[in-house]
Amino acid sequence: MTILQTLISGLLLGGIYSLISMGLNLILGVVRIVNFAHGEFLMIAMYLSFVFYSTMGLDPYVSGILVIACLFILGLITQRFLIQPILDTPDTTKIFVTLGLSIALQNLALMTMGANHMSVRTSYQSSVISIGELAISIPRLISFIVAISVAALLYLFLQKTMVGKAVRAVSMQRQAAHLMGINVKKIYLLAFGIGIGLVGLAGSMLTPIYSVYPTLGTSFVLIAFVVVVLGGMGSMFGAFFGGLIIGLVEALSGVLLETGLKEAVYFAIFILVLLFRPSGIFGLGKGAEEVG
Amino acid sequence: MNIIKSNKFLIGLIIVALVIPLFVESKFHLNTLILILMFATIASAWNILGGYAGQLSLGHTIFFGLGAYTSTLLYLNYGLSPWIGLFIAAAISILVGIFIGWPTFRLRGTYFSLATIAFAEVVRHIALYWRDLTNGSMGVNIRFEPGVANLIFREYSSYYYFALVLFLFALAIVYYVDRTRIGYYLKAIRENEDSAATLGINVTKYKMIAMIMSAGLTGIAGVLYAQFMLFFEPDSVFNLNFSIEIALITIVGGMGTIFGPVLGAVIIVPLNEIMRSSFPELSGMNYFIYGIALILIVSFMPNGLLPLLKKIPAKFKSKKLLDVKGGTDIDSSSK
Repeated sequence: MTILQTLISGLLLGGIYSLISMGLNLILGVVRIVNFAHGEFLMIAMYLSFVFYSTMGLDPYVSGILVIACLFILGLITQRFLIQPILDTPDTTKIFVTLGLSIALQNLALMTMGANHMSVRTSYQSSVISIGELAISIPRLISFIVAISVAALLYLFLQKTMVGKAVRAVSMQRQAAHLMGINVKKIYLLAFGIGIGLVGLAGSMLTPIYSVYPTLGTSFVLIAFVVVVLGGMGSMFGAFFGGLIIGLVEALSGVLLETGLKEAVYFAIFILVLLFRPSGIFGLGKGAEEVG
Repeated sequence: MNIIKSNKFLIGLIIVALVIPLFVESKFHLNTLILILMFATIASAWNILGGYAGQLSLGHTIFFGLGAYTSTLLYLNYGLSPWIGLFIAAAISILVGIFIGWPTFRLRGTYFSLATIAFAEVVRHIALYWRDLTNGSMGVNIRFEPGVANLIFREYSSYYYFALVLFLFALAIVYYVDRTRIGYYLKAIRENEDSAATLGINVTKYKMIAMIMSAGLTGIAGVLYAQFMLFFEPDSVFNLNFSIEIALITIVGGMGTIFGPVLGAVIIVPLNEIMRSSFPELSGMNYFIYGIALILIVSFMPNGLLPLLKKIPAKFKSKKLLDVKGGTDIDSSSK
């Protein structure tokens, strides 16, 4: 019974990982930038959610729409003023610009919000649905349902709408897309905005579950890297299932092994996938080796 | 002509470095000088793999921490002198370097960096978890028993000279790499791996040579750190920020140059020390500035400061040379 309980909580946690990873993967696939500051945007989203709660008394689920909007705009600004100018520079620049952003944002949070863990108190925080001996946390269940719905919406958007098709075209063939009259720079902006917006949503869903602190992003961004590599670069489908898998792995290794080793387990998975199937489980063919 | 000139500069620097401790009294300043030498050593080591071969490792903290833990655990558990531990530390770092390089050298660009981060995280978690060996997050403590055999000194100046010897050793290796075909091969790999392979360079072999030199040197620097600090823990020696800092120092100075990492260390280490002490009431301020500086530096001068510095004397020189002998020597003298 405990194993089943563990599996369920792992799966529910995996939904959040999926949201964060889908954002990272969209940016990676379209703009071809590994956003090392991705976790810091999650941290910002959670602080925003916290601030809306403590100043205006807004419930994290209600303020979610505001948080998403803020993060979307933040994403647009980042893409336009930070990423756009360095798109044609060597890897060194690309890596260290987002790393620098990550360090700066982390410490900006430390300066303004302090190092303490902050959390919101809601009435439904610790409420559970009991099925037999199973207990399912309601906030976690909500976050999971939201993650699935958003994944489905994103999928429909990318597959069915004209703009979505343009996004996919740019991620496949920049040059050809440009020649077909797609405004590549606008697509970059859109992809970065949506990617960071997804993080905003993930942050709102996480606030009732986790407390927020300045270095929170680091562990989440590392998980998102694992998920993206596992699922396959550029594959939204892969990022979604990769997130669920890592959630399960984390929960299981927390029970079967010791808690201290769960990170080591999924990083080991990360290394193994990079080595044996760099294009990821659901990869679209073009593997890690080819994309510089 | 050229060699004498650059050697003159180098010999002058070494003489200055040798006599500095005679004039510096304050412990704080000597401490900063030792840190400069240590970071210059590690950045020079990183430069071989990151600067020359273009493999941007963000996992060098692995070798640093392994070096520190290897010599210290051998000393604490078996009473083995860190002088011998130094060699074992280098050997273990090299072995782990080969183990990491062997699979990850297939990956390109950012993916290589990501894989090295993952390795570093695995090592950190293992160090935290394996309490019987590493004492976990409690860290390890070396008792202060000064003695040459223990590689523990009462005087900071002794540490300084030890660090200086290590640094010169690292510099000699980088110099060797730069002046032999290894350097040219590595640069060819950095510029275009496929073309390098087509021209008959054994890409994996030369990347591995760079990794071996880089990992071994970093491991030795880890021993220096352990003997100097006498206390460390997994989070201080297996730290992503440490890997970033090493790379930053090299980038600021100039990647793929002999003196770039040295220049970077001379600039960044004192700045770090100053910033750390200037904003004690506002924690995070120093690293906030650090992050912004990182963005600005890589965006606006991706080649670092050294090429800019070199341009200045070259301008004056080229004028003189033009007057004297028609400027035939411009290119070689500015190199």
